[in-house]
Amino acid sequence: MIGLSDFLIVSAGLFCVGLYVILTKRNAIQVLIGIEMMLNAAILNLVAFGKYDRLANGGQMFALFAIVLAAATTAVALAIILNVYKKYKTIDPDQIHELKD
Amino acid sequence: MENFLQAIDTLTIKFALAAVLLPLLAFVVNVCLPGKNNKAAGWISTLAILASAVLSIFIFSKVWNQHQVHQQQLWFTIGETKLYAGVLLNNLSVLMLLLVSLIALPVHIYSTAYMKNDENSKRYFAYLSFFCFSMLALVVIDNLILFYVFWELVGFSSYLLIGFWFTRSKAVLANKKAFIMNRIGDIGLLAAIAILFTVYHTFDIEQLFGVNALVRSTAFELPGGWQYVAFGGITLAVAAKSAQFPLHTWLPDAMEGPTSVSALIHAATMVAAGVFLLGRVYPVFTGPELTILAIIGAFTAFMAATIALTQNDLKRILAYSTISQLGFMVMAMGIGAYSSSLFHLATHAFFKCLLFLVAGIVIHEMQHVKDEYKLDIDPQNILYMGGLRKKMPLTFIAAVLGGLALVGFIFTSGYLSKDGILIQSFEWAERKHWLFQLIPIGAIITSLMTAFYVTRLIVKVFFGEFKLGEINPHIKLHISDGGWQYKLPLIFLSVCCLFPFFSLNPTLYEHAWLLEGFPKITGLDRVNIYHAIVPVGINILSLFIMYWAYSVYVMQKALPLPESGWLFRLSYHEWYIDKIYNKIIVEPILALGKLARWFDINIIDGFIHLLQRTGIACAKITDWIDRNIIDGLLHLIAAIVLGIGNFARSFQGGKVQYYLFSMLAIILAIFLFKILI
Repeated sequence: MIGLSDFLIVSAGLFCVGLYVILTKRNAIQVLIGIEMMLNAAILNLVAFGKYDRLANGGQMFALFAIVLAAATTAVALAIILNVYKKYKTIDPDQIHELKD
Repeated sequence: MENFLQAIDTLTIKFALAAVLLPLLAFVVNVCLPGKNNKAAGWISTLAILASAVLSIFIFSKVWNQHQVHQQQLWFTIGETKLYAGVLLNNLSVLMLLLVSLIALPVHIYSTAYMKNDENSKRYFAYLSFFCFSMLALVVIDNLILFYVFWELVGFSSYLLIGFWFTRSKAVLANKKAFIMNRIGDIGLLAAIAILFTVYHTFDIEQLFGVNALVRSTAFELPGGWQYVAFGGITLAVAAKSAQFPLHTWLPDAMEGPTSVSALIHAATMVAAGVFLLGRVYPVFTGPELTILAIIGAFTAFMAATIALTQNDLKRILAYSTISQLGFMVMAMGIGAYSSSLFHLATHAFFKCLLFLVAGIVIHEMQHVKDEYKLDIDPQNILYMGGLRKKMPLTFIAAVLGGLALVGFIFTSGYLSKDGILIQSFEWAERKHWLFQLIPIGAIITSLMTAFYVTRLIVKVFFGEFKLGEINPHIKLHISDGGWQYKLPLIFLSVCCLFPFFSLNPTLYEHAWLLEGFPKITGLDRVNIYHAIVPVGINILSLFIMYWAYSVYVMQKALPLPESGWLFRLSYHEWYIDKIYNKIIVEPILALGKLARWFDINIIDGFIHLLQRTGIACAKITDWIDRNIIDGLLHLIAAIVLGIGNFARSFQGGKVQYYLFSMLAIILAIFLFKILI
């Protein structure tokens, strides 16, 4: 029987993989993919905990909203990445260090 | 009438000031002249002294045996004490004024020729003028403080002139000696002045020693001991300036200066200052003190005469004869023959100046001979001379006249003054203890010795054969009396050595006009027999002695004293006084100086070096502490801050992923922290 903790374990693994991708990849697109993975881990948690709210299905609904929002943010992020590429001719986050003091 | 008199007095004072200040002006002009050997320098100085002499004659005619002129002005005020300074012209000062300028004039003329080849003749004439200024000012000043100042200046300028040839070590030693000896006397004079001021509250010479002398008044009396200190101080001053025993040894050494300077020092300017001081402060002395002066004078006269007998240096003989004659003057002051002492000072000035100028010419010509034949001789040594009378007749005649005057031969000025002193010394000793008879007898013996050494000097220089010519027949003498600058002073001074210049009666000293200007000797009975016996006896004995000396040195008879005898050696070595001073005073002082130097180098300097080393060591320790501990602490703090900063900075690399990683790490750390606690 697949219990709640199995979902949570998968979700945690997905989150860690996403985190790893974000921290190590040399490509902004891949980092964006990592972010999506972490988001999906969170959504997975929402869905998993949603089983305890069978009447309103609040968890499921919240997950749907989050997916929509994630699509929107991804679109925005891709646009930013395009602009960054236009300006720096690279999308390697290591090469872009204008944020430092 | 009153106003008229005052106007004349003011004029006299102005003339006196001019006479004193003209040589000073000449000194200033000479100092400012360009070049070292400027022909103009000599004539400027000579003109100045000529003007002084003319003015002095005028002043003399106005003041001598008339009322004295005394004007003074407020000099400065300290608290309640007002100090006046001014000019005091009485018989004594106008006589000295005239004497100094009249002696200095021929010396100046003579110097223009004598120093013309010296490369520093400008400096010489500047000093000479300064010397004359100091002495003239000393003579007319009425204030003891200024008197002391000019007294010092006389000593200082003589120091400059004695050491004029400062490249000769002997001259430097001589002027140092003269200066130090005179300093001893200066201390005495200063002490005496201080004592007089403390008691009488005035420096005014006229008030102190004048007509109503304060020092004679019974209202103020010097407290017992101080009277003797003042007397001792003045005696010391006189002994130093006028070369009396025991401070006489500088005068023979002072011969290292140019001969014309010696003539001035010996005749009028330097040594006369001591006797002049005695004349100024005469009322301060009491009876026993005068006796002490007489003893000092008589002893000095005797000692110097014995030394002069055996010296071989022309100028040294004359120097000792000066000391001897000064002894006579001091002795005359001591026995109360005030006027005779000053009379002798005046006559002595002329004939001693004459003799020195003669010596200068002889030495000058001997130097020529020496240079011409490149001889290794001392041009002043009389043993090398002889037979010079044929070559320089005028000099010879002048020397004989001067010598006769020095001996006190009849028809000369020396006769009048010296026999006066001798006669009065006999009268003085008349009713005293027999021991006091030693003074007149000593004076007689001195006088006879004078005859001997003067004859010896003249015979060795002018008679016989030229000694160098005998040794080396190639030497041909072409020497002469020299130019008019030599001849004129000689003729002038020679004439002044004769009796008419001082008295119309050549046999009786009391008729000399000079004696009338000073108070008559008191308390002595005129003993007629002395007035007949002493001059006649002295003259006859002198004649014998002169003939004897002539026979000894010209006809080569046996010497009066064997050269190996102790008496001869005593005289030749100048009574060993210099050697004794060397042993007793100079060497211990030098030893003390060395000890002080050792102390200074080893103890005082050592202490300072110790301090220095300690200081350096302390500084080094502080330096180490500063560098390693204080600086180290600062560096440590800086390093920590830097490390923290660098550590914190490393998080802000501007790379997004690092920021994320840092956040992760911090959150993990917080969680771990929570779990562990």
